Parts: sequence; C-alpha cells; structure tokens
Amino acid sequence: MHDEPLLSVSNLTVDLLTAKSAIRPVDGVSYTVRQGECLAIVGESGSGKTVMNFAPLGLMPTGVTTSLSGSVRFGGRELIGLPEPEIRKIRGKSIGFIFQDPMSALNPVRRIGRQIAEMAELHLNMTPRAAEARALELVKLVGISDPSARLRQYPHELSGGLRQRIVIATALAGEPKLLIADEPTTALDVTVQAQILRLLKDLQRRLNMAMVLITHDMGVVAGAADNIVVMYAARAAERGPVDKVLVTPRHPYTRGLINAIPKREDPIGSQFRGLPGIPPTLGAPFKGCAFAPRCDFAVPTCTASRPPLVPSADGSVFVACPVVNEGRAAA
Amino acid sequence: MNKLKPIFARLNKFPRVALVVIGLFVALGTFAPWLAPQDPSAQNLLQGGLGPSVAHWLGTDHLGRDTLSRLIIAANTSLVSVGSVLIIAMTIGILMGTIAGYHRGWVDDLLMRVVDVGLSIPSLITALAVIGIVGPGYWTMVLALALAWWPMSGRISRAVAVSIMSKPHIEALRVLGASPWRIYFGHLLPGTIGAVMVYATADAGTAALAVATLSFLGLGIQPPTPEWGQMLVDALPYLESDPRQVILPGLALTAAVIGFNTLGEAIALNRIPKPLTRRMLAMRRIEVAGWGKENSDA
Amino acid sequence: MIHFISKRLKHSLVLLFLASVVCFTLVVSAPGNVAVLIAELRGAASTPGYVEKVAEEIGLNKPLLMRYVDWLGDAVTGDFGISYRTGQTVSADLPQRMMVTGTLIAGSAVIATLLSLLLGFLGAFWPYKLPDRVSRGLALIGASTPTFFVGALMIYGFSVTFQLFPSFGFNGPVSWVLPWLTVAVLPAAVLSRVVRVGLEEAMTSPYVLTAKSKGLGRTAILFREALPNITPVFINALGTQVGLMTATGIIVEPLFAWQGVGDYFLAGVRFRDFMVVQACLLIFLAFFIVVNLIVDLAVLMTDPRIRRQWS
Ligand SMILES: Nc1ncnc2c1ncn2[C@@H]1O[C@H](COP(=O)(O)OP(=O)(O)O)[C@@H](O)[C@H]1O
Ligand code: SF4
Ligand SMILES: [Mg+2]
Repeated sequence: MHDEPLLSVSNLTVDLLTAKSAIRPVDGVSYTVRQGECLAIVGESGSGKTVMNFAPLGLMPTGVTTSLSGSVRFGGRELIGLPEPEIRKIRGKSIGFIFQDPMSALNPVRRIGRQIAEMAELHLNMTPRAAEARALELVKLVGISDPSARLRQYPHELSGGLRQRIVIATALAGEPKLLIADEPTTALDVTVQAQILRLLKDLQRRLNMAMVLITHDMGVVAGAADNIVVMYAARAAERGPVDKVLVTPRHPYTRGLINAIPKREDPIGSQFRGLPGIPPTLGAPFKGCAFAPRCDFAVPTCTASRPPLVPSADGSVFVACPVVNEGRAAA
Repeated sequence: MNKLKPIFARLNKFPRVALVVIGLFVALGTFAPWLAPQDPSAQNLLQGGLGPSVAHWLGTDHLGRDTLSRLIIAANTSLVSVGSVLIIAMTIGILMGTIAGYHRGWVDDLLMRVVDVGLSIPSLITALAVIGIVGPGYWTMVLALALAWWPMSGRISRAVAVSIMSKPHIEALRVLGASPWRIYFGHLLPGTIGAVMVYATADAGTAALAVATLSFLGLGIQPPTPEWGQMLVDALPYLESDPRQVILPGLALTAAVIGFNTLGEAIALNRIPKPLTRRMLAMRRIEVAGWGKENSDA
Repeated sequence: MIHFISKRLKHSLVLLFLASVVCFTLVVSAPGNVAVLIAELRGAASTPGYVEKVAEEIGLNKPLLMRYVDWLGDAVTGDFGISYRTGQTVSADLPQRMMVTGTLIAGSAVIATLLSLLLGFLGAFWPYKLPDRVSRGLALIGASTPTFFVGALMIYGFSVTFQLFPSFGFNGPVSWVLPWLTVAVLPAAVLSRVVRVGLEEAMTSPYVLTAKSKGLGRTAILFREALPNITPVFINALGTQVGLMTATGIIVEPLFAWQGVGDYFLAGVRFRDFMVVQACLLIFLAFFIVVNLIVDLAVLMTDPRIRRQWS
C-alpha cells in the first residue's frame, strides 16, 4: 500500500524478564510515524519510552530477556518475530539511533573517524577511503568546525555537545529512513540543548526522514514534533497532533506535564512546578488507571478497569480517561 | 535461629560446588585424626609401594605408609597452617587497613605504599627470603607466609574502612562527640572484619598452594608430618614406577584449591549481569502469562 | 611522552634504591662472623691473620654506610660479593643463569598470552554455552593446580609415558617445551579469565549498544569495539603474571634441572647463603621494575585516554 506509514506500532506489549523480577514496561501502545514526520514520545523517566523503542529492534542490554507481542511494522515488514540477523540489517541501515548520553555512547579508545566511517563501509559498501570521505562530509553536515582534525581525535577530547553531533553524524551515515533519538539533549548543558535540537529538526526536514523524538520534557516538543504520544506507566495516556494536544490538553496527566513547563512570566528562581507525587514503579500491569493516586479528578471507578483510549469528537486526539471522555471533568 | 537466616541466605548465593568442597575440606581437616584408618607414620618397608588393597585402600608409599591415612592427615596439616597464616595475616592487615582508613593523611599514604610494594613482590619470593634469613621451620613458614599475605587484606580492609568512615551515621557520631575508641571498636572494626573474612576465605586456596609449595621445596612442613606437597615430592623419585603416589596428593590439593577458587570467582563476577537460567526464565514466563492481556488500545 | 618516560624512570630508580637497601639489610643481618665463615670455607681458618685478611677483603671493618656504598657500587657493576657457601664469587655464572631464566619466562609468556587469548575469546564468543564452559573449566583447573603438580604431570605424561620431550636439562628448544608449558599454565588460566571477564564487561557497556545499533555483528563488536578496550587491562595483567613467573621459576627450574636464577635463589635460601639470596633478590626486583616500566609504556601506547594526559 502506498499510503502505509513508515512505522506503525500497534498494541505493542513488552515484558522484561530479569533475574530479580518480571515487569511490563510497555503495555498495549499504538502509534504511527509517516515519512518526513516527527513523533514525540513524552513521559516521566521510567515510563517505558526507551524500552518501547529499543526492545523491538533487539537493543536491550544483556541480563534481560524480552518478550514482545503486538505488531511493529517498519517499511511494510513485521519486526516482531523477525530473526536477529534480519533485524540487524535494519539497524543502522534503515533506522539510525541517537542515545541519551554521548559521553558513553562512543567507544573511548577508537578514533571518531573510524566510528563514523565503518557505518558507510557496512551499509553503503564503501571502500575505507570513500567511507572516510563520507565521514568528513557527515561531520561537516552536523556543523562541526575543523572537521578533518576531529576525525582523528578520540571521544574524550571533545565536549558533550560535539560528541552528540558525532553520534548524530554516525546515525546518519547509513542514510536511514527513520531516526530514533532517545532523549538526545538530556545529558547536555542547557546552552547546547537548543542547538542540538535545532540541528536534529533541521536534518530531519532536509533529509526528509521520519523521526521519533523521545523526551521527558514537554518544552522540547512544541516546535519539533508533528504528533505526540504521552506515556504514563507503560501506557499511552493521550495521543494526537501536537498543536491540539499542547493547546488543549485533555488527559489530566498531560495537563500536569504542560503546567510543569517553566513559563517566561515565572519569577526568576521560582520553584519548579513538577507534578505532585512520584510515578509508580513498574511491575505487573496496573488494574485501572495508573495515574489515579496522583489525579485530581479521580473517581472510584478509575481503579476498576483499564481506561481505553477513546477518540475525541473530531477523531484526531485519543485520550485514555473515561472521566474526561464523558465530559465530567471541566476542561 | 533467626540470626542464622541471613547467613544462610548469603551462603545460598555462592556456587554449591564451592561450599561442598570447602565444607568437605574443613570437616576432613578437623576430624582427620579420627577419620584416618591407620597410623600415618607407621612404616613397613616390606610393604612399600603397594597398589590398592583391602588393607590399604589407596596403597602405600615407598616406606610402606598407608596413603589414605596420610592424605587425610595432610588435610589437617593444611587446614591448620592455612588457618594460622590467614588469621595472622588478617589481623595485621585489618589493623593496618583500619588505621589507614581511620586516619587517612600521611599514615594512610605510608601504609598503602608499603602495601603496594608488598603486593608487587610475589608472595613465594617474600616468604623464601624470610625463610632464607631465619632458617626453615614450621613457625617460620607460617610467619613468612603471613608476612607475604597481609598486604592483600590490608588493602581490602582499608577500602572497607574508608567507605564505613564516610557513612553519614559515623559522621553524626563524631559530631555528637563519640570517642574515637567507640567509633573504632564499635563500628569500624566489626564492619571491616566481616568484609575481609569473605575475601580471606576465597584466598585460602592460594594460601594452601603456598604452604604446599614451600613443603614441596622442603622449606615448609617437615617430615614425618604428612602434607600434600611434601608427599608429592617424596614420591617424585618413584614417578615412573609408582605415579599414583604423586598424583593422589596432587589431586587432593587441587580439589581443595578449586573449591576456594570457585568461591573467589563467584564473588568477583557478582557485578556482571548474567543471562537468566532456563528455570528462572520459565518461572518468569509463567508469571507474565498470569497477567493476561486486558483490552488494549485501538 | 618524554615527560612520562622520565617521570616513570625516576620512580623506578627510587624503587630500585629502596630494593637495594632491603637487600643490603639482608647481608648485614647475616648471623655469625662472616669472615670466619669464609676463611673456613677456604680451608684457611687456622692460618694466623687470615680471618683478619678476609675481613679486610670484604670490607667488614668499615662503617655501615661505607659498606653500603661499596656494596651498591659493586652490585651495579655486577659484582655481588663472595658466596658464604662456596667461598667463590657469586656473580661467576649469573649471566648464564639470567639467560636460562630469561628463556623460561619469555617462552612461557608467549605461550600464556596466546593460550589465554584463545580461551578468553572462545568464552566471550559463546558466553554461557559449551565453549565458554569448557574454557572456564580449564581456567579454573589451571589456576588451581599447583605448579609443581603440573610439572610432575608434564614429566609423567610427555616424558615418561610418551617419550616426546626430555624431562630435564637445558639443551635447545626441545628441552624447553615442558618447562615452558609448566610455567605457562597458571598465567594462561588467570589471563584467560581477564580476557573473558574484560570482554564480557565491555560487551555490557553503552558503546557496545551503540555499535549494535549501527548494525555491527557480534564478531565485529568483539574485535573492533571490545578488544581495544581490554588491551590496556590485559597488558597490565600480563605484566603482573610475567613478574610472578620469577616465583614459578623457583619451583620449575629445579624440577627440570635448569640452572637459572630461581634455582640459584632456592639454593641460597636452603643453605642460608645470604650473598646469593640478596644477589638474586636484587635481580628479581630489578626485573619487576623493568617489567613495570615496559607495561606502563605499553599501556600508554594503547590507551588514548592516558596518552592524552602525558602528551
Ligand atoms: N535492562 C533493564 N533491566 C531491568 N529493567 C529495566 C531495564 N531497562 C528498563 N527497565 C525497566 O523498564 C521500565 C521502563 O524503563 P525505560 O524504558 O528506560 O523508561 P524511560 O525511557 O521512559 O525513562 C523502568 O521501570 C525500568 O526499571
Ligand atoms: S482515569 Fe481517572 S485517575 Fe485516570 S486520569 Fe482519568 S480521572 Fe484521573
Ligand atoms: Mg529512557
């Protein structure tokens, strides 16, 4: 089908089996990303964002066994159940990854040039020499000055912002159709966060890639994403176009998150308005709405059964909160 | 009884082989005099170098002594000398380590420099040098090995002591004006001893090797006291005709050391995540299956 | 670079000086009158005035500091005094013995390195599978078997049962094989675990996740990403093991009738021949220091993080 989205995740559930416990960090989540589109996945730390994006691609650390169900279709292919060698061909080549911490994402004892060039060798069948040339191009593309010198350096010789640019260059080296950026700015200095974000957005538009931007910061989403999925405790709380969700958030959790964004009119040094309470520790799936203990609108039925994602009147925004959907909470 | 529970819980984390072998070694060593079927030093030259028989289950050595009895008594020799070495070494090490960790500053620097030098010289060479000066003998051996061994426990106890001293409740005690003695004997020392004991047990295998090696060289346990290394060297001239007498003590010693080393390895590898065992995985899968699937999102 | 080497050299010299003081203390602490001992050994104890002559010869009458300076000066030029046992100079066949021990350590180090890399990679390639279990089992046994037992088994297996290699003597490569293997077993076992654990730890690090996300396969990740990261660690451990081989040599040299430094040291300890003991100790200590220096340099070459601090 010509119209099929590049990535379509439906009803994805991930169970992590570890020596200590079994947990379900992703519980029946669905979303789609089309070519050239950017989807933001927002939620507090520990809500399952990383697992949701990495587990289907076989990128979990050692020591855990993952068990997947549901469907993840990428470029018309079902990823769940695909054998590891096949998934490996997709990683790097069709999907590029950017990690949260550029300090540890690069190999400390290998030259930067090699770490970028090997991608071109592997995925574009380039000779080492051609790959080096491509690495140079890429480093220029991500806006690094004195690129040829940088290629000969080691990661510890660069600042965090530069390293993240190198990670981005590496992710682009295979000419991917989709970029998955897992909190790409969280570990960086506040001053460079905006630069990196702008760079990513710019590259995504210029190269017409799809992008999944994972973040815990609502403030990042506004200019960057087309659609948004708000995650809470392994589930999608709200999903829809950014302009709608940001302007008229409906789910109580989304409202809380947006209220927590520092505003310009805040007096300097005023207290950070985080959400009251802490997110739950994940384990077995929750009965009912996981947000109930922190929710101002909670009613007894909230904990009875899982609130389904229900489309709004115009069918664009989906909210998993019966209280809101039935119009009982004042918007 | 309840006090024993955490101990059992801790033991459960170690490989069972290690615990069985170590338990066997300690039991054999402790009860050796009652377990040995015959007098280990009773010679009978007419019955030298015999193969296994009803009278001598593992045969006899070239002097006609019962090999099984000698192997069993040797466990006792080994256990006692290794125990003495480790206790002396740990006492010195813990003392030096806790002092360094308590005082920090130049005392710490000086002691740790000494520990570094001690650790950089192979323990066999240190021990032999001491024996070279003082002359061979049982207690020379024990002291020489203790001298070679204390730097290890010194380093560990210093690390433990430093971490204990930086804990908030110690800081609070200090501010409240608790006497240094109370901090040292009430908190620092007990905490350190426990941690060092585990490492010392894991290190006992190497100490057993050292005792056997010195005895093999004729500078440790002296005949007629049976000891594995010394039994082996005694039988070496008859290697061609009677290899059993060489192999048996070697195997006994190796088995004991394997037990201790398995323990040490388990401790060292604790921090690396391992894939789940099949049983564990099955259990987790059942757990997950029980969660079922609620209605999910469109 | 130059800065690093000169700093390391200075450090080494200080250590060597300390070592020499320790060794000299050994000489001084020799009980009994050394001059009488030597005179007796030379069969001239009853000759009037001979004891005094010996005392003069070895400088017994000088103050301690002068004796140390003399002794150090001699030791530096390779003169380690007179053996209390034979009455002959200690240094006579030291070069030959150092050559023998050097052969032992060099060969064993090469074997241990190759064997440990092989075993370690086998394990890291198929973690927790059969090759890994075999490799770890071998490592455990190798690290737990006393060296003298290994030697006895080597002799029994390769010399008595299948007469492949001679069981004693230092006559060319064929006679070197068994001692080499005997000494190599322990370091190979220990180092294979360093490789195995190092690789496994490296495989759990974030940059390996990055490498996986780049689409690299397991072989490429092991060799390109993990191996360079454990090289400095491996070199360090190899240095320690090479140092330890001096001790293993003390057991193995006499076993195979090799006249090396270890064998000499052991004889010195046995007969409480202080001059021999301290000469060998000094050689051992100098060897440790040199090995450490080489290790530091090699680590400097292989770890860009450290290299940067010194460039
Ligand atoms: N390797 C792992 N082992 C065990 N638990 C994990 C692992 N990775 C993630 N989890 C658990 O999964 C949940 C979701 O984690 P994650 O996806 O990293 O959250 P987020 O990216 O939203 O911060 C957390 O509760 C975390 O404890
Ligand atoms: S379902 Fe109930 S608890 Fe959950 S967000 Fe809606 S109102 Fe709050
Ligand atoms: Mg995350």
